[in-house]
Amino acid sequence: MKFVIRGVYILGQQSEMIFSKEYAKSEHKDSLIEFLVNLTQFIKAVELDGNVESMGVSSWRIFYSLEDAFTFVFIADKADDSAQIKGKISDLIVKFMKDYAPLAIANQPLEGLDAIVDEVAVTLVKVAILGFAGVGKTTTLHLLRGETLPLVHDPTIGVSIKKLPTEVENANIVLWDLAGQSRFSILWAKMIANAQVVVIVTDSTLENVLRSKKLVTLVSEEVPNARVIGIANKQDLPTALTPERVGQILSIPTYELVAIDISYRERLIQIIRKSILEGKADKVT
Amino acid sequence: MPEAIFVVHLDDYQGFVVEKRYPSTLSLNEKALNLVYYEHEKEKATNLKFSDIEGMRVVSFAERTHPGWVVCFVLGADEDYETEDNNMAGMARLILELMSEVPDAVNLREILGNESVLNEPNEEQKMADIFFTPSSALLLERLEIEGVEKAAKLSIWLQTQLQTDTIELHEIVEPLMQSGVIKVELLGKTGETVFLVKDIFGYRAPPVKSIMKAMEADPEMGKKYKQLVSSFFSPPTGKGYNPTLPLDDPNSPLLEDREKMSRLLSKSLPYMVLECLREGPQEIGNIAQKTALPLETVQSILWSFESDRVAAQLDEYGIWVLVSDPVIESFMPEFILPAISKKLADKELAPETAIRHLELLIEEWGEICD
Repeated sequence: MKFVIRGVYILGQQSEMIFSKEYAKSEHKDSLIEFLVNLTQFIKAVELDGNVESMGVSSWRIFYSLEDAFTFVFIADKADDSAQIKGKISDLIVKFMKDYAPLAIANQPLEGLDAIVDEVAVTLVKVAILGFAGVGKTTTLHLLRGETLPLVHDPTIGVSIKKLPTEVENANIVLWDLAGQSRFSILWAKMIANAQVVVIVTDSTLENVLRSKKLVTLVSEEVPNARVIGIANKQDLPTALTPERVGQILSIPTYELVAIDISYRERLIQIIRKSILEGKADKVT
Repeated sequence: MPEAIFVVHLDDYQGFVVEKRYPSTLSLNEKALNLVYYEHEKEKATNLKFSDIEGMRVVSFAERTHPGWVVCFVLGADEDYETEDNNMAGMARLILELMSEVPDAVNLREILGNESVLNEPNEEQKMADIFFTPSSALLLERLEIEGVEKAAKLSIWLQTQLQTDTIELHEIVEPLMQSGVIKVELLGKTGETVFLVKDIFGYRAPPVKSIMKAMEADPEMGKKYKQLVSSFFSPPTGKGYNPTLPLDDPNSPLLEDREKMSRLLSKSLPYMVLECLREGPQEIGNIAQKTALPLETVQSILWSFESDRVAAQLDEYGIWVLVSDPVIESFMPEFILPAISKKLADKELAPETAIRHLELLIEEWGEICD
């Protein structure tokens, strides 16, 4: 993911708001709308030639463009990838002008626009779950998705890809559960490509944690910009090392987990959310 | 003939995406896609691979030039894979190329029905890859001076030229080896030696065969066509195209043009259209039929040929003609013989290496006499 869009606004000829959608809570919504109306007046006075321009305001970047009577505004974080957002805004303009501009002019309801905007604005975050066989990667995946656990262990073949049912930070989280059997290890480097977060799952035994150091090295070589977190799973077993000890051995931030215990779900989602935000913060610094 | 085809792509975010399938009722699951992909990855297998996946007899095809893509043919229970393998490889090659250039125009039913294929790159295309890969072209220039050199020495030389410590010599050398321009051999215990056995020359040739064909078919049209070609090679004003100008300047427009021509030869779909035009003037529909490419694809290739002054349209006849024919020819590098002789005299080269080089040149260029 190279950006998180915080809000999408479309204003009409009289600078009236004809569509708005916020993906992040804003405490200053009224003043933001007033600002956008003023911005629309300003945009109409300058020659944009169909280009998408942007300006920095506080920690945000406001992207805007004018097409016929309509002003399109995206609000994103300053650290986000401008080129991608400009591409997205251009995509939205094409779709809007084709299907919705006549409706907006005729003051008709803009049915389906919400989904079109979501399609453009909601992004994908790839979270790869990596670990050796039998440590509980698929169980972790089920936990994250809030699913009941299968009674019979069915080893993953290659990779199993599932979405998190809820959006996190205006992004769809795509979970890549990589098969842990050694024959599939040849796929790991390719499968973690472009992951923003890599979760290394261990069963918290000393032997497995020591082996898992290799995985940390692999991740740092293949996806150096990814946030890496360790999971000390099976903390309910007597042989389990503490999460602190596992973290020391792996040299990555590590969290405890009992993947068969549903109460860990929200905590784990928060850990991933934090990693996504930290990843974005790293880009700013 | 295969019962079904599907094209799968590993997307970094969405995972395995079945980009195309025929028939549309073909049902596939994640496990089957994983196994198809894994079969190729585990052996770094390119080209065709037969596997039995979840009861399906699948012949899959992957190519290094299209990483993450696999074309799969589902065979019937009695179908013999080996009798159809060339055909399937050709169809898969065409599908992959079309998927990367014009994905919307890919029609699996038509490709399967017509058994449309894309052949493996020929010698000319392989040679074009050299000029298309700047480091390989640089290495060739070096070998044109040295004739023969140790791989390790070439690697150091390239590192200096490219100002980097990390060069993948085998990747740079590959287009040269694939096209037979160099031979690499292990001599003695001192590492690999690289021999230049062919040199190459890339230029725009006048499309003589095509003009003759036009003259035969319609002398009036042939005359206009000839004028068009003449105005490119020897315009009434200006200097025209001359590939033998000295190339001291690395930014010479001629070098840039050679790279452009190599790109055109190297890319499979434009090459198919080029080969068609080499035969003689053609209507666009005729080219689409002969190449089995979608009409829109042929049109856009012809427009790009037009802007590169490779082809032009004779409007009044509704046909396309070749204006300049990009060719790459190989010839014997006899100019390296004095360099080898000097190296031998200066004891920079072992006699066995010099002898081996001569043997290789004879093998490549010598005529067999009874």
